[in-house]
Amino acid sequence: MFHWLEQRPFLFSVGVFLVIAFAGLIEIVPDFAQASRPIAGKQPYTLLQLAGRHVYIKDSCNACHSQLIRPFKSETDRYGPYSVSGEYAYDRPFLWGSKRTGPDLHRVGEYRTTDWHENHMWEPTSVVPGSIMPSYKHMFTQNADLETAYAEALTVKKVFNVPYDKPGFTKLGSWEEAKKQALEDAKKIAAEMKNQDVKDAVARGEIPEIVALIAYMNSLH
Amino acid sequence: MNNMFQDNINQLSLLAAAIILALTVWVAGKYIKQMKTDRSTGELADENWDGIGEYKNELPAGWAYTFLGTMIWAIWYWTTGYPVNAYSQIGEYNEEVAAHTKQFESKWANADKETLQAMGEGVYLVQCAPCHGIAGDGMGGKAADLSVWGSKAGVLDTIKNGSKGLGFPMGDMPAGLLSGDAAEKVAEYVANGMKGDQPAEFATCAGCHGADGKGMNGMAPDISTYGTPEFVKMVLEHGKKGFIGTMVSFKGRLTPIQEKAVGTYILSLSHND
Ligand code: HEC
Ligand code: HEC
Ligand code: HEC
Repeated sequence: MFHWLEQRPFLFSVGVFLVIAFAGLIEIVPDFAQASRPIAGKQPYTLLQLAGRHVYIKDSCNACHSQLIRPFKSETDRYGPYSVSGEYAYDRPFLWGSKRTGPDLHRVGEYRTTDWHENHMWEPTSVVPGSIMPSYKHMFTQNADLETAYAEALTVKKVFNVPYDKPGFTKLGSWEEAKKQALEDAKKIAAEMKNQDVKDAVARGEIPEIVALIAYMNSLH
Repeated sequence: MNNMFQDNINQLSLLAAAIILALTVWVAGKYIKQMKTDRSTGELADENWDGIGEYKNELPAGWAYTFLGTMIWAIWYWTTGYPVNAYSQIGEYNEEVAAHTKQFESKWANADKETLQAMGEGVYLVQCAPCHGIAGDGMGGKAADLSVWGSKAGVLDTIKNGSKGLGFPMGDMPAGLLSGDAAEKVAEYVANGMKGDQPAEFATCAGCHGADGKGMNGMAPDISTYGTPEFVKMVLEHGKKGFIGTMVSFKGRLTPIQEKAVGTYILSLSHND
C-alpha cells in the first residue's frame, strides 16, 4: 500500500521531517513574526541619536551595560517596565548585552537627564562616589561621525524598509537636510549643558560626541 | 558508612532497588525463554520485505484504547489545553507582581513614621541619590538641596529666586515678590502649614495661590501642603524643569506608599524635629 513512499527514502525523510516539524513551525513562526514587529509608536532613530549609538558601540558601553529589562519584579522596580521584542525593531545590531557591571540602560531616558549625563560622563565619581565606570572626557572634544550615521540610516531605509520619511515617522531627508536637523537637535541638548567648550562647538556648527551620546541616552525609554 | 544503613529512607531505597533488580531479572528471563520456545501463529499478510513477512493480527485491545485516548487528548490539548493553560513567563510575572502589591499594600497601609522613613531611605538611595547625593545636599548645586527644600529656608529661597518648571497652567512664579521682614513672616507661615493668623503680606501670594494657598483648583501648586509628603508626591508626578536642572517625573514608577515614604524621608532632612 505504501510501496510508492517506502521506495523513495529521500522523499520519505523529507515527509517525516515536515510532519515532526509541523507543530514547531505553526507555533514558533507566526509568534516570532508578530513579536519582531515594531511596537506602536516606535520611531526609527534620528540622525543625531544614531550617531550617539555609534559612540556607544565604539566605546563599548555594552561591555558593562545591558539593554534588556527582564520580567522580574526586582528589575521592573529598578528600571521600569520589562522590555518587549518589538522595541528593538530598529536596532541594528541590538545591544542587549550579556553583562551588567553597571545597571541596565534600556529605559535610562526616563530617569536620567542631559545635565546628569554631562556630569556623569565627564567624571562618574562626581555624582556616584563609589563608581567604577571610566570617565569619558574625550567625548567632549571629539566630534561625532554624522556621515557614517547617515549612511547607515539611508541603508536601512532602502534595504530593510525602515520607515524613515514616511508620514508620522522620523524625517531623514537628504544629507544636507539631515545634517541641519541634527545640528538643531544638538543645539537643544547643548542648551541644557554647562560645559562651555561643548556649547561653543555646537554654536560653531560642530557636534561633539557627548551631545550625540546624550541624544541617544535620552531616546532610551 | 554505618550511618548509611541506619537511615530508614536509605534502607527503604535499597529494598526497592533489590526488588526492582529481582523483577527485571525475572521478566527478562521469562521473555528470553519465550523467545526460544514460542511459535508464531496466524494468517500472513501479502506484503513481504526481503523475506520478512507480517501477520494480520488484530491490534491488542490495550494498544488500541491507548491510541484512541491519545487522539482525544490531542484534540483537547490543541483546542483547549495549550491555549488556555499554557505557561507564560509574563503571566507568572503578572501574578507575582499582583500578589506582591497586595501584600505590600496591606502590610504597610498604616505604617508609622519610623517605618516610612526607613522605607523611604531605601527608595531614596536607589532612585534619588545619584542626582541629589547620598546626603541629599544636591552635590554642590547639581540638584535641589533637600536639606533646605521643604522648610522655611526653602520657601524663602522660592520667594527670592522664583520657581519654574513644575508645569502648572499659571506658568512660572516670578522672583523677588517679597523681601526682608515680609518674606520672613510669609515663609514662616507657609512652612508651618499655613496655620494660625495669616500675615497681611500673604496677599501677594494669594493672587496666584489663593487665599487658602490651595492653588485655585490646580492653577498653581497647593502650598498649604508645602513641607508635607503630599507636596513631594505632587513634585514626583510633575517632574520639574527648573533653574537648577531637570528633575525627572516618577509618575507610575513608585507606589503611593513608596511616594509617601520617600517624601517622609527627604523631609526629615530639612526638618529637625
Ligand atoms: C567598566 C564598565 C563600564 C563601562 C565600560 C561603562 N560603564 Fe556606565 N556604569 C558602570 C557602572 C559600574 C555604573 C554604576 C555606577 C555609576 O552610576 O556610575 C554605571 C552607570 C552608568 C549610567 C547610570 C545608570 C543609572 O541607572 O544610574 C549610565 C547612564 C552609564 N553608565 C552610561 C554609560 C555609557 C554611555 C558608557 C559608554 C560610553 C558606559 N556607561 C560605559 C560601568 C561601566
Ligand atoms: C504670579 C503668580 C504667583 C505668585 C504671586 C506667587 N506664586 Fe508661588 N508659585 C506660582 C507658580 C506658578 C508656582 C509653580 C512654579 C513651578 O512650576 O515651579 C509656584 C510655586 C510656589 C512654591 C513651590 C516651590 C517649589 O519648590 O516647588 C512655593 C513654596 C510658593 N510658590 C510660595 C509662594 C509664596 C510664599 C508667594 C508669596 C510671596 C507666592 N508663591 C507667590 C505662582 C505664584
Ligand atoms: C535625574 C536626576 C534626578 C533624580 C533621579 C531625582 N531628582 Fe529630584 N531634582 C533634580 C533636580 C535637577 C532638581 C532641581 C529642579 C530645579 O528646581 O531646577 C530636583 C528637585 C527636586 C525637588 C524639589 C522640587 C521643587 O518643587 O523645587 C524634590 C522634592 C525632589 N527633587 C525630590 C526627588 C526625589 C524624592 C527623588 C527620588 C524619588 C528625586 N528627586 C530624583 C534631579 C533629580
